[in-house]
Amino acid sequence: MKIQVPRQDLLKQIGYKESPQPKLLRMADEMLGLLDRLVEPRRTFKAILEEEDLPPFLIGAALKYVGAATLGPKLENRVKDLFEEGKPAEAYILDTAGSIAITKTGDILWDEIRQDAAAKGFKKGLRRTPGCRGVDLETQKWIFEWLADPELGITLTQSFMMAPRKSLSFLARFGGKLKASFSCKGCPQYSDCTLRG
Amino acid sequence: MDIIKEIYEAVMEGKVDDAASCVQQALNSKVEVNDILNKGLIAAMDVVGERFGEGELFIPQVLWSAKAMQGGMDLLKPHFSSADHAEKGTVVIGTAKGDIHDIGKNLVAILLEGSGFKVADLGVDVPPERFVEKAVEVKADVIAMSALLTTTMQSMGEVMRLIKGKKLPFRVIIGGAPVDQAFCEEIGADAYGMDAADGLRKVKGLLGR
Repeated sequence: MKIQVPRQDLLKQIGYKESPQPKLLRMADEMLGLLDRLVEPRRTFKAILEEEDLPPFLIGAALKYVGAATLGPKLENRVKDLFEEGKPAEAYILDTAGSIAITKTGDILWDEIRQDAAAKGFKKGLRRTPGCRGVDLETQKWIFEWLADPELGITLTQSFMMAPRKSLSFLARFGGKLKASFSCKGCPQYSDCTLRG
Repeated sequence: MDIIKEIYEAVMEGKVDDAASCVQQALNSKVEVNDILNKGLIAAMDVVGERFGEGELFIPQVLWSAKAMQGGMDLLKPHFSSADHAEKGTVVIGTAKGDIHDIGKNLVAILLEGSGFKVADLGVDVPPERFVEKAVEVKADVIAMSALLTTTMQSMGEVMRLIKGKKLPFRVIIGGAPVDQAFCEEIGADAYGMDAADGLRKVKGLLGR
């Protein structure tokens, strides 16, 4: 799987609305090239057939999934090295590019889950990430026990954080009563968010 | 252009090599060390911080400036006499217990160092007791904590309880995506940094610098 991060997306995420100075453009291109060589995207999902001991978000759904994706450890190791080498701007730009890349990887995973659900007759679904909007962070443990995929390369810390850090996981549900549709307005970063454009 | 102005411009523009060579040139010309520091390096970095806060500059440019300032500071340090104040204060910084995210914390640390603060960086997943132990050890002025999740930010309150229980004099600033002014007031922290530049501004404010 190839994950492309356009230069414009990266610059926008950093905050630039107009074209920045050539030095920054060169650095952005250099970091995007580095990103391309360092990321090893992996993703997986699984349909949940159990009806017992479900996280509250999945209760009552007709179709239930867990999914996770990662960019692998090389990217964040390089970010750490860049900080230690006294290149914080490069580290920051590479890390930001990685954040965009993992978001894109998550979107690809979500599309695959939606296709799977569509093939079973369900079009509308919701996904939720542990730690957000009523899904306990401890749900991570449940998700990764279900995925049980050592090839994925994600491990959990004692506090249920994922390593590598450029990883994501979520619960997804289709059918049943979708009580709450997603809205950015509940997010504490709503007013400052650079992702909404 | 006088050499102080050249130092100022080099830091403003994030020209690392130029800043270092101008500081060296100023030292060779026997320019007052405190003038190089205050009128050149720090004055420029203050303006960079302000422009970042106003949305005129973005993080990479601020980091270049901080690096240029740091290069100049490294050359100045051996020339400070005991009467000079080489550092504005000491800050112990880290990511809250249970949390492994460090980009925001690293940026704040770099900006603090670039602005003349001494920084003790404890890294990530720092237990509350460790923040306090380190602050006592280095005689810190400020403890700065970051968290990315509502679950991990709770340990910031534990740091406050430890400080208040032991009646320690440290000022505390907190930041990170889920943190806000209301949480800052709830746990009794001294300041909330909305972003890296705001964090720097608040630390300066706490210490009257």
